[in-house]
Amino acid sequence: MSDAALTHPLVLCIALPLLGAMLVTALPRWSVRLGILAAVATAAAAVALAATVWQQGTLHLMLGGWDRQLAIALRADGIATALVLMANLVALGISVYASGYFHDRVRVRSFWPLWLLLWAGLNGLFLAGDLFNLYVMLELLGIAAAALGALTGNRDAVAANLRYLLVGLLGSISYLLGVALLYTAYGTLDLGLLAAGIADSPQLLAVNAAAMTLMVAGLALKAALFPLHFWLPPAHANAPAPVSAALSALVVKAVFYLILRLWLDLFWPITGMAAAMLPALLGAVAIVWGSWRALRAERLKLLAAYSTVAQIGYLFLFLPLLAATPPGPARDDLLAALLLMAVTHGFAKAGFFLAAGLVQTNAGHDRIDDLGGTAQRLPATTFAIALSGSALIGLPPSGSFIGKWLLMQSAIATGQWWWVIVVTTGSLLASAYVFRVLSRAFGLEPTPMRFITDARAEVPALTLALVSVAVLGLASGPVWTLLGLSAAGVGA
Amino acid sequence: MSAPAGLDRATERSRDLRLLLAVLLTLLGVALTLVYLIALNAGAAPRLADLAYERLPSTGVQNPVTAVLLNYRAYDTLMELAVLLAALLGIWALGPAPPGFQRSGAVLAAMVSWVVPLLIVTGGYMLWVGGYAPGGAFQAGALLGAAGVIVRLAGDPRAGLPGEAAQRWLLVAGVLVFTLVGLGLMAFGAGFLTYPPTLAKWLILLIEAAATVAIGAALAAAYVGGRPPGPDARPTAEDEDALTPAQTPANPPAPPLDPRP
Repeated sequence: MSDAALTHPLVLCIALPLLGAMLVTALPRWSVRLGILAAVATAAAAVALAATVWQQGTLHLMLGGWDRQLAIALRADGIATALVLMANLVALGISVYASGYFHDRVRVRSFWPLWLLLWAGLNGLFLAGDLFNLYVMLELLGIAAAALGALTGNRDAVAANLRYLLVGLLGSISYLLGVALLYTAYGTLDLGLLAAGIADSPQLLAVNAAAMTLMVAGLALKAALFPLHFWLPPAHANAPAPVSAALSALVVKAVFYLILRLWLDLFWPITGMAAAMLPALLGAVAIVWGSWRALRAERLKLLAAYSTVAQIGYLFLFLPLLAATPPGPARDDLLAALLLMAVTHGFAKAGFFLAAGLVQTNAGHDRIDDLGGTAQRLPATTFAIALSGSALIGLPPSGSFIGKWLLMQSAIATGQWWWVIVVTTGSLLASAYVFRVLSRAFGLEPTPMRFITDARAEVPALTLALVSVAVLGLASGPVWTLLGLSAAGVGA
Repeated sequence: MSAPAGLDRATERSRDLRLLLAVLLTLLGVALTLVYLIALNAGAAPRLADLAYERLPSTGVQNPVTAVLLNYRAYDTLMELAVLLAALLGIWALGPAPPGFQRSGAVLAAMVSWVVPLLIVTGGYMLWVGGYAPGGAFQAGALLGAAGVIVRLAGDPRAGLPGEAAQRWLLVAGVLVFTLVGLGLMAFGAGFLTYPPTLAKWLILLIEAAATVAIGAALAAAYVGGRPPGPDARPTAEDEDALTPAQTPANPPAPPLDPRP
C-alpha cells in the first residue's frame, strides 16, 4: 500500500467512530442522528477495507512513518478483515436497533458516545499490530463495555458490571505483565518482529512460556473461558438489549481473536499439543456446562448469555486440532471453519439478543415460561429468534454447520475423536434450549387483531439472524479466499 | 461450648487458606522475578531508547518522553485520551453528581484564590516545558485537574468548570484535535499522524494544548462524580444567606455537626 493513498481504510475504520464519538459527546442534542451517521460511515469504511484487502492482500501501515521498531503498526490480514467486516455489520445493525430502543433522554446521551468509543476500540483491536497498542485497545474496550452494561442503572446491572470492570482490569494487567516481559527480552513491541525473535530464541523458553501464560490467562479471563466465565452471565443478561448484543457477539469475540493471534502468530514455536490441550479441555467443559445452564435458565437473556459461554468453548477446541494439523489445505479448512464459527456466532448472537430485547420490551419481562403467544404477537421477532437459534445449534444452511462439520472431520482425521462427543453433546443441548424457547413462544393463544411491528427494531434483528443462517452458510467461499490472501501476504 | 469451637475451626481454616494463598502468591512473585531477570540478561536485543534518541532531531521536540508520547507512539496517546473520556462518560452514565459542599470560609477561600491561579499558571508552564524537559500534557492536565478538585472542595458544585454544554466541548477537545490533525495530515498525503518535521513542533504543541484542557476537565469532572449539576446549581448569595443565620453573617457557614458550645 503506497503512502499516496489519501484516505487509508485501515485508519478510517478507527478514526471515524472516534470522531463520531467526539461529535456525539459534544452535541448531545443530535446524538441519534450523528450516531447513525458515524455508524454508517464506519461500516462503509470497513467494507472499503475488505474490498482493498480483497484486491491487494494483507495491508500494513506504519503510523508516523518511523522505523518498524519505533512506530505502531496497523495491519489487516484475512482473519482480521473477516472479523472487522462481521463486527462492523453487526454493529451497524445494533446501531439502527439502538436508535429506537432508548427513549429516556439521559440514556440516549450516555449510550451513543460510549457505544462509538467501544466500536473504535473493537476496530482498533482487530487491526492492531503492536502489543502495547493492543493493551490500550483492551482498556478502551473494557471501560466502555462495563459503562454501557451498567446503563440500565438498576442495582444488579451496576454490581455485575462493576465486577466485569474489575475482572477485565485484572485480565488486562496480567496481559500487560506478559508484554513487559517480552519487551524486556526482545526490545520491541511489533508483533511481526517479536514473532521472529521468539522463533529465533529457543533458549529463552522460560521467558516466552511465562509471557504466554500471563497473556493467555489474562485474556481467557476476559474471554470468559470456563471456569473464568463467572462474570459473564450476570453482566450480559442485565445490560440493555443492544449492549448485550454487542458484548456477547463482539467484545468477547474480539478478545478471543487476540488469543488466537498470540497463539498462532507469536507463540506458535512454543505451543505444542500439551499447551493446546488445556484451553481445549476447558472449552469442552464450557460447551457442556454453558449449554446445560442455558437449558436451565429461567430468563431469555440469561439463556443467551450462557449460550455465549458455550459458543466461546467451541472456538477453543480448534487449538489442539490446529496443533496436530500440518500446514496445507487441511489446516486452511480448519482456520476457515474457526472463522466461520466465530463470524456466525457474532451475527446469530446479536440477532438473538436484539430479538430477545424486543420480546422483553413488549411483554415487559423475558421469563421463558411465560412467553406463550409471542409467536402470535411478534411473528417477525420470533422468526428471528428461531433463525439465530438454528445457527446457534448449527443446523444445515448456517455457517456454524459448516464450521462444526469441519471441526468434527478434523477431530477424526487427527485421531482426537473425543471432541466429536463434546460437539454432539453441545449441539443436542443447544437444540434443547432453543426449542424450549420456541415451544413456549408458539403457544396456543389466539391470534391478536394486529401484530406488533417495529421495523427499526425488527429489521436489524431479522437481518443479522438471516445472515448467520443463509448468507454465511450458502456463500462461505469468500472466507477461504480471504484466508488464502492472508497466507500469501504474510508468507508464513 | 461447641459453637465457639466450630467458629474457631472456621477462622483457623480461613487463616490457613489465607496463609496458603500468601505462600502461593509469594512463589509466583519469585518465579516472575526470576523470569524477569532472565529476560533482562537476554538483553542481546537492542533496546528502543538508542533508536528513539537517534531520531529525536526530526520529531520536533527535544524531550524523548514527549517524542515517544506525541510522535513515535502518538496513536497510543490518542487512544489513552479516549480511554480517559470513556471513563468519565461511564461516571456520567451512572447518575447526576452529588450536591456540592458548602461555600468555604474566609481562610480557605483566600487560599483557594491564591493557589488555583498558581496551579493554572504552573500547568501552562508544564505544557510548554514538555518540549525539552520533563513535563507535557498529562502533567499539565493533572495540575488543572487538581485546581478543579480544590475549587470543588471549596464549595463550587461544578469544580470551576463551565456549564454542561461547554464542558462537553472541553472534554472532547483532546481527542477531537488529535484526530482532526491526524486525518488532516492524511488528507494532505503525509499519512495519519505523520508530522512533517518543519511543522511537527507546532502541531504537537496544538495537540498538547487541547489535550491539557481535556485532561484537566476530565479529571475535575471525574472528581465531581456525576453528570454536571444544572445551571442554577452554583450557590448564589441568596442561598448562602438562607444557609447562614442572619445574625452572624461574618462567620463561615458551620458544618451541621460542629461541636462548638
